[in-house]
Amino acid sequence: MVRAFTALLLLLTLAAPAAAQIEIRAPGQQTIPLALTQFLPREVTPRPEVAAQIDQVLQADLDLSGLFSFVDPAAFLGDARRIGLLSSEVDFAEWRLLGAEVLIKGTYSVQGDNLVLEARLFDVVRRRLLDGRRYVGRVADARQMAHTFADQILKSLTGIEGPFNSKIAYISNATGHKELYIMDVDGHNSTRLTDHRSIVLNPDFSPVSKELIFTSYKQTNPDLYRKEIYSGREARLSGREGLNISARYRPDGREIALTLSYQGNPDLYLMGTDGSLSRRLTQDWNIDVDATWSPAADRLAFISDRQGGPHVFVMDLQGGSLRRLTPSGTYNATPDWHPKDERIVFTRLEGGRFDIYTIRADGSDERRLTFGAGSKEHPRWSHDGRFIVYSSTQDGRKAIFVMRADGTGARRISPGGGEASHPAWSGPWR
Amino acid sequence: MSRFNQIMRMALVLAALSLVFAGCAKKPVGTDASQAGLTDGRVAGDVSGYGDGSLRESAVGERDAYGRPGAADIAAALERIHFEYDSYTLSQRAQETLTRNAAYLRANPDVKVLIEGHTDERGSDEYNLALGERRAQAVRNYLVTLGIAAERLSVISYGEELPLDPAGNEDAWAKNRRAEFKPVL
Repeated sequence: MVRAFTALLLLLTLAAPAAAQIEIRAPGQQTIPLALTQFLPREVTPRPEVAAQIDQVLQADLDLSGLFSFVDPAAFLGDARRIGLLSSEVDFAEWRLLGAEVLIKGTYSVQGDNLVLEARLFDVVRRRLLDGRRYVGRVADARQMAHTFADQILKSLTGIEGPFNSKIAYISNATGHKELYIMDVDGHNSTRLTDHRSIVLNPDFSPVSKELIFTSYKQTNPDLYRKEIYSGREARLSGREGLNISARYRPDGREIALTLSYQGNPDLYLMGTDGSLSRRLTQDWNIDVDATWSPAADRLAFISDRQGGPHVFVMDLQGGSLRRLTPSGTYNATPDWHPKDERIVFTRLEGGRFDIYTIRADGSDERRLTFGAGSKEHPRWSHDGRFIVYSSTQDGRKAIFVMRADGTGARRISPGGGEASHPAWSGPWR
Repeated sequence: MSRFNQIMRMALVLAALSLVFAGCAKKPVGTDASQAGLTDGRVAGDVSGYGDGSLRESAVGERDAYGRPGAADIAAALERIHFEYDSYTLSQRAQETLTRNAAYLRANPDVKVLIEGHTDERGSDEYNLALGERRAQAVRNYLVTLGIAAERLSVISYGEELPLDPAGNEDAWAKNRRAEFKPVL
């Protein structure tokens, strides 16, 4: 399994909050010119593959963020090759000349299996350090260190940490059976978590612990399971007759909303994390599936065919009132509520293909995010709400993609082999 | 004597059914029948505990020791039915098929079946799981109205997970929207 590296995060200089100085706009609009330099070796014998890995991770993460435009490294002058990491040592005039407003510099040191990274983020205009971090771990942790620094860069510049050092769970049939996998947000370090050799579906991360819940036909019936990611321990959480599907943790992790059909109809229920039922939410002859919690856990959005085809509805958990959210389309599916805002991402089937849309929780401001070839399904927000992970068939076989919340910057992340579907994005991974 | 009668009755029913089937559209002998055969093999072979050293092997025929139909037999006798898109309504044709299946189940009162509900790949996975269950329940309810005891009929939904035909066209989708019968042994 992924070994948590010991990260010594030393805030070297107590820089004043920088967010106020550098103006951040919505992704895809005006970007900040960024100079990303290669990390330089502290030792006499350089390890270019380590530097290249760090550079590649930072480049990809920061590019996905949509906040930056990169100054062409071919234009870099002498300071990019100088090790000096103190703001007094950096030639800011040189970077200014290249049009850079922020600068990333760093060094690495490899001793046997161990790796020490020194990473710095500078404000070129004000000639000062914005954030300095030291990471101590193993050489194999280089990617994770770089993801963590990318998260910090976003925090320094916007006040909100990035999601790059978190995980994505998904389902792949690479072994011939649908099994549960976990990978980094850029698709690296993909690992299979289950060996059920039946059908595993629809995972969700616990917001409070390193656990996943999912549906599996392991014991014939579609039952709900819980799995601890590091120990591998697994338990059946709900094996009620019929469907035990589309389960989602409440944002505080203390309760689970899911669809059960043991009383004849596929209805929504609330269940404790011990598998005991606390409340039945719907009771009718319609299909009610795909519940998703509002950030304050006071409402659920879900799919119901109570007014003809499947549509998104919002239920008030206190008053019990119910409202149809999507007036348009004939087939809407798989809503996921933004982790902080009044926005819901969902899919709509039109012309035999799904595309991804968002809509405000009051039913206003519907936006279509995806176009073009292939069917896009199962959108889920990143924990900071900046990105959406989903499955797409645009390259032929179904694979996992990530894009920005406004639909730009889409890229494939899941490794080849088999069809990949049902992604879920973890919370911060510490 | 009574067992002889039972066997004779079974043989007659089978003969009658094979006549009925001969008149129907040809049913491909696909993976379903062979899977059912595999189930038979497991039942015969896996009961003894690991390491007890007494390996027993017995041929698995079309009939068990009591002259009842075996799994492959049942699977072959009970025809699958098909549905319209996003629907669990039983068509006229589906009702006719189920009437024949009910006749078989009446003639074989020991047979218990699992009704599997399936959908095509269009639509969301979770909605399709619910829709597949609806289809299986519709079949069970219809068989119950034809006099089959509900205790003999269990249901499961596989949604869009187990297509008969993995192709992404109208023909394949029509084949995949179905309910199937699997013997419960």
